[in-house]
Amino acid sequence: MSIFSILSQKPWTSDQAKIDDKHSGKSSSMPLPRVALYVSMIVMGVLFTLFSVAYIGRMAYGDWRVLPEPPLLWFNSLVILMSSFAFHKATLSLKENNNRRTREYLFLAGALTLGFITGQLFVWRELVSFGYFVSTNPSYAFFYLLTALHILHLLGGLIAWLFVVYKSFTAEDESSNFRLSVNLCAIYWHFLLIVWLILFTMLLLT
Amino acid sequence: MSESIIPESELEEVELYHPKSWWTEKVFSQDAKLIAIQYGLTAFAIGFVALVLSWFMRIQIAFPEMAIISEGTYYQFITMHGMIMVVYLLTALFLGAFGNYLIPLMVGARDMVFPYLNMVSYWTYLVAVLVLFVSFFTPGGPTGAGWTLYPPQAILGGTPGQETGIVLMLVSLCIFIVGFTMGGLNYVITVLQARTRGMTLMRMPLTVWGIFTATVLALFAFPALFVSAVMMLFDKLLMTSFFMPALVEFGENLSYGGGSPILFQHLFWFFGHPEVYIVALPAFGIVSDLISIHARKNIFGFRMMVWAIVGIGALSFIVWAHHMYVSGMNPYFGFFFATTTLIIAVPTALKVYNWILTLWKGNIHLTIPMLFCLGFIVTFLNGGLTGLFLGNVIVDVPLSDTYFVVAHFHMVMGIAPVLVILGAIYHWYPLITGKMLHDGMGRFHFWITFVGSYLIYFPMHYLGFIGVPRRYYEMGQTEALYTSSAADLNVFITIAALAVGFAQLVFIYNVFWSAKNGKVAEKNPWKSTSLEWQTPEQPPIHGNFGKELPVVYRWAYDYSVPGAEDDFIPQDVPNEKVKLAEGYKELGVEKT
Ligand code: HEM
Ligand SMILES: [Cu+2]
Repeated sequence: MSIFSILSQKPWTSDQAKIDDKHSGKSSSMPLPRVALYVSMIVMGVLFTLFSVAYIGRMAYGDWRVLPEPPLLWFNSLVILMSSFAFHKATLSLKENNNRRTREYLFLAGALTLGFITGQLFVWRELVSFGYFVSTNPSYAFFYLLTALHILHLLGGLIAWLFVVYKSFTAEDESSNFRLSVNLCAIYWHFLLIVWLILFTMLLLT
Repeated sequence: MSESIIPESELEEVELYHPKSWWTEKVFSQDAKLIAIQYGLTAFAIGFVALVLSWFMRIQIAFPEMAIISEGTYYQFITMHGMIMVVYLLTALFLGAFGNYLIPLMVGARDMVFPYLNMVSYWTYLVAVLVLFVSFFTPGGPTGAGWTLYPPQAILGGTPGQETGIVLMLVSLCIFIVGFTMGGLNYVITVLQARTRGMTLMRMPLTVWGIFTATVLALFAFPALFVSAVMMLFDKLLMTSFFMPALVEFGENLSYGGGSPILFQHLFWFFGHPEVYIVALPAFGIVSDLISIHARKNIFGFRMMVWAIVGIGALSFIVWAHHMYVSGMNPYFGFFFATTTLIIAVPTALKVYNWILTLWKGNIHLTIPMLFCLGFIVTFLNGGLTGLFLGNVIVDVPLSDTYFVVAHFHMVMGIAPVLVILGAIYHWYPLITGKMLHDGMGRFHFWITFVGSYLIYFPMHYLGFIGVPRRYYEMGQTEALYTSSAADLNVFITIAALAVGFAQLVFIYNVFWSAKNGKVAEKNPWKSTSLEWQTPEQPPIHGNFGKELPVVYRWAYDYSVPGAEDDFIPQDVPNEKVKLAEGYKELGVEKT
């Protein structure tokens, strides 16, 4: 039901009461963890958006310097894209009830994510070795800040990932709980992939 | 008689968490009711610190020759007072304390949907409070940047507390926001997904609507504060120049350059203005319910009240720059924000009319909660009207940074919400403790607080008109510019402030005294319809409702329904079970 039709209800009338008495009390039939993930993703989206707004706002000032783009960044982007894809494959094998395959893809996704994080740290080292420090120019500062924030979100995801991998060994094959967890992880990874692609585009545009 | 077919409960009864030891039951509790009390006590404890700081400031302003605090200390006290009051007291109380206590009970849930997260949220909040408090004892003391923390001065030498105070403040804010977000997810999702059968969104009491909408606002607004705090920490600790322009300090070029302090102001107020409504919306909701209950009448214009809450919430994100009229912004920009600011006054005024129309011809019981509500209406109206002055650019420019502003924001977001909180405590105390608060002490508390606050802040408008600037620890040489009445008024205001402070001590005493010696509250003492009073036990125990969750058959405002014998019908009573008044054969239908 749309928010507008909800807001136009007249809960005090007896006609509306007949309808309302049958209401289950839930606004959505989604399971709780899924709602929780969606709401969290909205909040994270707001956070990244505000950082981006600050970034674009700060860019307008005269002292802004163009950020060098280490080629490694392209490679890293490919890695995180693949980890997202591995998660996607994991959900597909889940549909085929192929638990072993699912687990393999889960491991692959995790490994690729760790690879991405390591890659990002190498980018940092490279920049530092060129003498691009946090305090050198706001564009570098933003780069460190945004990538660090993104990595933190991935690390949070990896904690969830650990639980899922653990479940993949212990849960019953058909456990809907396990399925849900894998699906939610996949969604979160796609989300962080999109965030990264947006950040990366923004960094390229400097 | 209509038969109502109630669907099978779709919510599988959730496994409640059962504490296994004293520690997990009483300290690291996952029960929203206890978490609420923990939030409340912590907020009041740190809020008390802020109150004591205000006494020092007032004494200093009234009797500068006593020099009870130095100018640096004065800045530090203003800053800590402002930030604690707004964030650590009011936000934590409305969302953390009232949200936790009331949401599950009022929507008919056994607990929040994520009790563990809820517990972590409180302990994170406690850490934030402690980090902030510790800054009083660090070298250099707490930050004196003003609660707005404007760079560049906030992190430069010369501002008190720039050694560690500012860092602790920013870190504490970040921790607070993380903790709040965990709680906020809980409040939102509990409202959306854990209501009991028959509880549609529009059947929820306005209290829940207010807290719910405020939480949504907070989830959108606090990230802006987080972003500005993190970036300022970078500027302070890593010498970046997000906000810091090129500066010369004591003839020395600092390594900063090119940053934009205005960018900070935008981010800060993108949080700061919605913050006003994060505090106000729960207050609106609670006041609506209290007025309806204590006037035994349904709330006037219920739907409009909900629309106004939602509308104000949405609009509050496009008015922020009215705090920046004097920052040298483009006049067209100012015009836009002045317009939106005046538009937001419309739904706000509508709420005030509806409160008054609810009271109109109501069966008004002058209970203490009702007194506080009446006090709120008058105070809020006053603060709202001065807001219209300040919302206009040309009026704001001369009044900016004068005591007029201090009067305005204390009326509208200081005193008004505090009156609601106090009224709400008198109202729900019997539910929480099973005892009534002492009536005599309560009335004393109300009258001193209400009249006293008016005596504090009403004269400040005049001080503002004659140009007395805010954030000055004494008028010094400038005193010659004002009539001597300004100095006399300041003495008067300080006396009123100390009296109000004393009344709060009486209140605190009352809260503890009554918990032990108070009159035992009868069940549902205010004859309220909403679910929190319909629990089998009062105070409600773990799990809130007995074996089965209640089923809801009506909205929360069935007061003085014609045909019913009692003047209220609880939400979980179906029409068939309502005791009819003599001469009626059905609700609203007289026997012929
Ligand atoms: C009776 C209780 C209170 C008294 C006596 C009091 C007194 C004061 C005083 C003396 C100042 C400094 C004014 C100046 O020099 O510019 C101040 C500032 C402030 N107060 Fe209060 N106050 C009280 C309650 C509150 C409450 C409940 C709030 C909650 C919103 C609040 C929020 C603020 C803020 C935000 C500032 C501005 C701080 C700044 O300029 O950075 N106060 N108050
Ligand atoms: Cu504002």
